[in-house]
Amino acid sequence: MSLTVIDRRSLLLGTLAFVGAASHGKAFASVADRDIAYVATARKGMKDYCVLLLRADGSIVREVPLTARGHDIAYDHASGRVAVFARRPGVFGVAFDIDKATPPHIFTPGKDRHYYGHGGFSRDGRLLYTSEADVESESGLIGIYDVERGYKKIGEHPSYGIGPHEIMLLADGKTIAVGNGGLDTVPDAGRENLNVDTMEPSLAFVDAESGKLVAKHAMTGDLKSLSIRHVTQDKTGLIWFGGQWEGSPSETPQIVGSAGLDRALKLVDAPGGGMDLRGYIGAMAVSNDGRFIAASAPKAGHVLYVDSETGAVVGKSDLKDVCGLSSEGEHNFAASSGFGVIRYETAQARVISEHALQDIAFDNHLRRIA
Amino acid sequence: MIAMQRLKLLLSFIVMLTLTTAVSATEPPSHLAMVQTALDKHIIPHIEALKTAAEALPPAVEAVCKTGSPEARHALDEKFAATVTAYAGVDFLRFGPMLEKGRREQISLWPDPRGFVGRQLRMLLLSKDEKLAEPGALAKQSAAVQGLPALELLMRDADVPLGPTEPAQFRCVMAQAIARNIVRVTSKVFEGWTKPGGWKDKMLNPGPDNDTYKNASESAVEVVKSFLVGMSQTADLQLKPQVDPKIRLAPPYNKSGLQKQFYAASIASLHQLYDAVQLEAYLKPDMAWMKGWSQGTWRTIESVDGAGGRAPHAKRADTPTSREVFDRMNGMRNIVANRLSIAAGLTIGFNELDGD
Repeated sequence: MSLTVIDRRSLLLGTLAFVGAASHGKAFASVADRDIAYVATARKGMKDYCVLLLRADGSIVREVPLTARGHDIAYDHASGRVAVFARRPGVFGVAFDIDKATPPHIFTPGKDRHYYGHGGFSRDGRLLYTSEADVESESGLIGIYDVERGYKKIGEHPSYGIGPHEIMLLADGKTIAVGNGGLDTVPDAGRENLNVDTMEPSLAFVDAESGKLVAKHAMTGDLKSLSIRHVTQDKTGLIWFGGQWEGSPSETPQIVGSAGLDRALKLVDAPGGGMDLRGYIGAMAVSNDGRFIAASAPKAGHVLYVDSETGAVVGKSDLKDVCGLSSEGEHNFAASSGFGVIRYETAQARVISEHALQDIAFDNHLRRIA
Repeated sequence: MIAMQRLKLLLSFIVMLTLTTAVSATEPPSHLAMVQTALDKHIIPHIEALKTAAEALPPAVEAVCKTGSPEARHALDEKFAATVTAYAGVDFLRFGPMLEKGRREQISLWPDPRGFVGRQLRMLLLSKDEKLAEPGALAKQSAAVQGLPALELLMRDADVPLGPTEPAQFRCVMAQAIARNIVRVTSKVFEGWTKPGGWKDKMLNPGPDNDTYKNASESAVEVVKSFLVGMSQTADLQLKPQVDPKIRLAPPYNKSGLQKQFYAASIASLHQLYDAVQLEAYLKPDMAWMKGWSQGTWRTIESVDGAGGRAPHAKRADTPTSREVFDRMNGMRNIVANRLSIAAGLTIGFNELDGD
């Protein structure tokens, strides 16, 4: 592991993200935290960003303000720790204990680094892994942080591609699956993708301890413009991914698929293809029983459900601007939208219940806590 | 002389567009009418203007390469500036034909903080491969060497200026190939929009069998989303580097001194699109304050030159700071996304605006 030095400018930016939190009366008040079912990043009103801790009925238990847009949330069940990551190409992360009314930790990726919005805890909860970029070299990285030392960055692994997006520690506890989107961004150029015509997306498997590459599936040929972004794992250990098509819209391929450490990539045969999903999957989730896979397509306003046992599409629901996904119960799912809706539905796309929050726009990801 | 006439024509075209799209209606248009107006008054004319401007590039490059005369160089500068500013007017129309085959990047790979254009072009020049001049050959190369930024590099290289002498021979071959390629790509974009069954028809004929737009509201949302993209791009890429001095990002076409023209053309096009879609016509009386706010915002945005100075025809008595203009642009984006579009019955999702 190579040690990195925290950039003072980045640290300041990260700290600023919590100036609001420290002065927010309700943010750390004592609350019945055991009611918390979900954590989501969101926009409140027209321009205020926050982390929301929610009950199952969608009501807000706690709110943590952010000064910039957040993205995904990592949760360590044993310790109750939550980490939230800045949206690409942001430079702050925020971590706090879900059961305690204590101020959060702010962490940053260090000099010449930025986040891609995702991360996850190690199985023992001692380490936090994040997807990052080395701005100078374009290389993708997995940042490693020591939780007990106040989320101090202690090392980096290569992600074996450009633009790592979602990373996920697999059920074996020792392998990290990385969706290398293949797209290069630098903070100075905002969110512009700089290398669309030469992008090389891939799904990589990296040994969490040594950082060595275990396996890699590169997108080539007709799929070279399919940016792999989001991943989840089924009960057999297979990885399911959702992509973002950066090629000609008229040539959009299927954009949901699966692959294993020793199993080649295979795309789902979804009716209407990737074009029906508007070429973009915003989040992936697996049911608690590990059988059903959900993929949200916010531009199309659909959630696609796949039975991992057969690889067949078993349902497709409609919800405007849906993106956040999480498991609910054994077989069902919760979905959140940019219009403040939390909906529970089955993998066969039958709506169980729906709750709407006023003046809240849920961001891309929703994390189950309870 | 002809160049001046063309420039005048382009300017009068812009003035005409501004006048014809000025807000006059009080009755809110239907979503389909909104799309029709946006297409007829803004999108198609701007796409055509880019194609027309680009068509003047190959003969202008050829003249420089044949004569190397100051007149020819001046003419090429004018044609290049006209094409760049025409492109600035469509840069945010990132849907439909512009997205096919990576055409946007082929026309204008900017921003380029990693210097891809220079790197790729140097490799191409070292190869001295004359086959690159054959029809379609350049289209198979990196987008970085296909468009306006690559042509600009060749035009502005003071060490080996384009001209009839030997050192510039292969550079002229490349410059002419690039100019022809820009014509090819911009023509494809225009054709993609206007051919029977093209993107214009697709937007005007939404329905269950339409693979992109299921109803007129979806077509209208596409237009409004492009406006939001344009506001974000202009704020983040053109204004923000002036607000935050730590940002290192070269302005667009700065080697040709076109930063201010690019900004002016971006803003003029966005303002014309804003007027064309007539979102304010949907406002109820209690929200009419937004009209005044938006007028003030346009006045502010148009009172700067995009390079930290004052615009030649600024309407505000004082010169707004870059910070104020940046904030106003973001405010405009918020108002359109979260208030005006909702008043118009258009639902633009928080997550669908850009992928991640």
